[in-house]
Amino acid sequence: MAKNIAKEYMENRAEKRNEKRINKQMEKEARKQLRAMIPLKDRITKKLVKKIIIAILIYLVLFDLAFVFLYPFITMIIDSVKSEADLLNSTVKWIPSSIEWSNYKVAFEGLQYSKYIWNSVFVTAVATIGHAFVCSFIGYGLARYKFPGKNLIFVGVVLSMLVPTQVLIFPLYQTYGQWHWLDSFLPLLVPCFVGFGLRGGFYIFLFRQFFLGLPWEMEEAARIDGCGCFKTFFRIMRPMARSSILVCTVLSIVWHWNDYFEPNIYLNQSPELLLLPARLPSMYEQLNVISSEAENIELASDVIINQAICMASTFIVILPLLIAYMFVQKQFMEGVERSGLTGM
Amino acid sequence: MSDKSKKKEKKPMAMKTRRSIEGFIFVLPWLIGAALFFIYPLFQSIRYSFSEMDSLAGTKMHWVGLANYSYLFNRSTTYIPKFLAQIKNTVINTPITLVFSLIIAMLVNRDMKGKGAFRTIFFIPVLLGTGFIMESLLGVGVGEVVTNSSDSMLTSILMQSIGGTFATYVTEFLSRITIILWKSGVQIILFLAGLQGISSSLYEASRVDGATEWENFWKITLPLISPIILLNIIYTMIDSFTDSSNELMADIEKSVETGTLCRGAAMGWLYFAFTFVICLLAILVMKKLTFNQGER
Repeated sequence: MAKNIAKEYMENRAEKRNEKRINKQMEKEARKQLRAMIPLKDRITKKLVKKIIIAILIYLVLFDLAFVFLYPFITMIIDSVKSEADLLNSTVKWIPSSIEWSNYKVAFEGLQYSKYIWNSVFVTAVATIGHAFVCSFIGYGLARYKFPGKNLIFVGVVLSMLVPTQVLIFPLYQTYGQWHWLDSFLPLLVPCFVGFGLRGGFYIFLFRQFFLGLPWEMEEAARIDGCGCFKTFFRIMRPMARSSILVCTVLSIVWHWNDYFEPNIYLNQSPELLLLPARLPSMYEQLNVISSEAENIELASDVIINQAICMASTFIVILPLLIAYMFVQKQFMEGVERSGLTGM
Repeated sequence: MSDKSKKKEKKPMAMKTRRSIEGFIFVLPWLIGAALFFIYPLFQSIRYSFSEMDSLAGTKMHWVGLANYSYLFNRSTTYIPKFLAQIKNTVINTPITLVFSLIIAMLVNRDMKGKGAFRTIFFIPVLLGTGFIMESLLGVGVGEVVTNSSDSMLTSILMQSIGGTFATYVTEFLSRITIILWKSGVQIILFLAGLQGISSSLYEASRVDGATEWENFWKITLPLISPIILLNIIYTMIDSFTDSSNELMADIEKSVETGTLCRGAAMGWLYFAFTFVICLLAILVMKKLTFNQGER
């Protein structure tokens, strides 16, 4: 009995499939006939050709651009596994003759990676939380409220973006010195919680632009329902800004992780607090010393840092970023899609 | 009853002041930050630019008026050329960056296969960083290879087909492009976010009305992403002005180390005043052109 049912079922399916196939064929033939009615000249319509050409062109452009964008990255990875001989051999460009994983080991030890990475992680995490939280708050105030001096504050925000840190670094250094903040993470972290810090002004600007584009109906409805301004912000507006917050978070993480100018100045008396990227310049300096004394390369042979090791160390410095980005990539891009920075 | 009606009468006024106070609370963190980390160092550094240091520590200094500035104008041989070169750089790079990043964003905004992969690729230079890592990659010769290989081949062709001067412009443009592209990851992301925010119903409506894609771009896309364009203009200009690979910035950085701090401050301020004026102009012009929901 069961066999019969199974057989019937299979036959049924096969029949259905057949039907579908026949239907498709008929459709095809019908289309063919239709096409045959149209002369060949007109069959390849301008629209179709245009469409195909445009698609091909777009892909060509995109692949070209992708190559330009990926070039430094690929070179870095390939260079990082090259051996000493391959580096000197200019014919070896893309495929190294042997893969030297030991470069990574040297880079790992040279950077004292396991020790310094935690400094970087801590600073980046705390500073990013500060930026994402406070800048959305300030940006909302600037976008949605009218109060005396608002334009002045906005100009101030633009100013804070514009004035290069290099100009302010010395007075800031003195101030932090007076407060005994030097040689701690405080100068890097506290400004982030008041809308300053590394490109703090930019995030305020970003959130302001985002909130400017949002329609007013939500807030008005919330106010009519008796929501206070903070409740409106935290319950309604901020969840709507989730995607902008994600953009802000990703950028803040990236920039904090790669920043080395400010940390280097504020932390230069306490090497154990240094961040990971700050360890890189010293490696490159050693490389430059070697290359400037290229003739004495045999003399310097006990110094093992070569370009491959520099590339390897650069790669492992940004590796946590790449891994983190892989995790948030989907959400980030979705966030970008849904961010509605234009708010329509 | 009378109490209630009084309250009702008062409400519009009270509402306005309450809104102001609320707005003030929202920007309060920024005001605190400005007081602590911004205004004092700002004035301090202006003061430096008008004084000269007596000791290396920078604790004692005396007022010298405009001496530092006049030095930069009259005696320094490097400052003005670098300054002008930087301004030229920014003025040329900003529109190119914007146009390219908008084009790329629009390309990856289309519904097609592999758009996710392309979007990720275009974001990679941002991950490589704006700071030392990017510089070291450019410095080690990665940048030169791209520009040189495209240069040498193209220059010879171009030189033959179109005269020398124009060819140099073209090759300069090409060598600029690669570096510009690497620095436009953030702009692409911001534009993409803006483009995604435009409701497709607008395009459908206009298509029904018989608009072409070209018209759609000028009449729908551009006005609606205008706030993002402003954001990107400001970001691009600032990024280019304050880039640490910028020679002027390097000079200012050096001044702290070499003890010519006051001169460095003067350099910074002169430069900064100019960039500020440019950015403010851009904001004022774009404010007229951008579309937003306004204040209430």
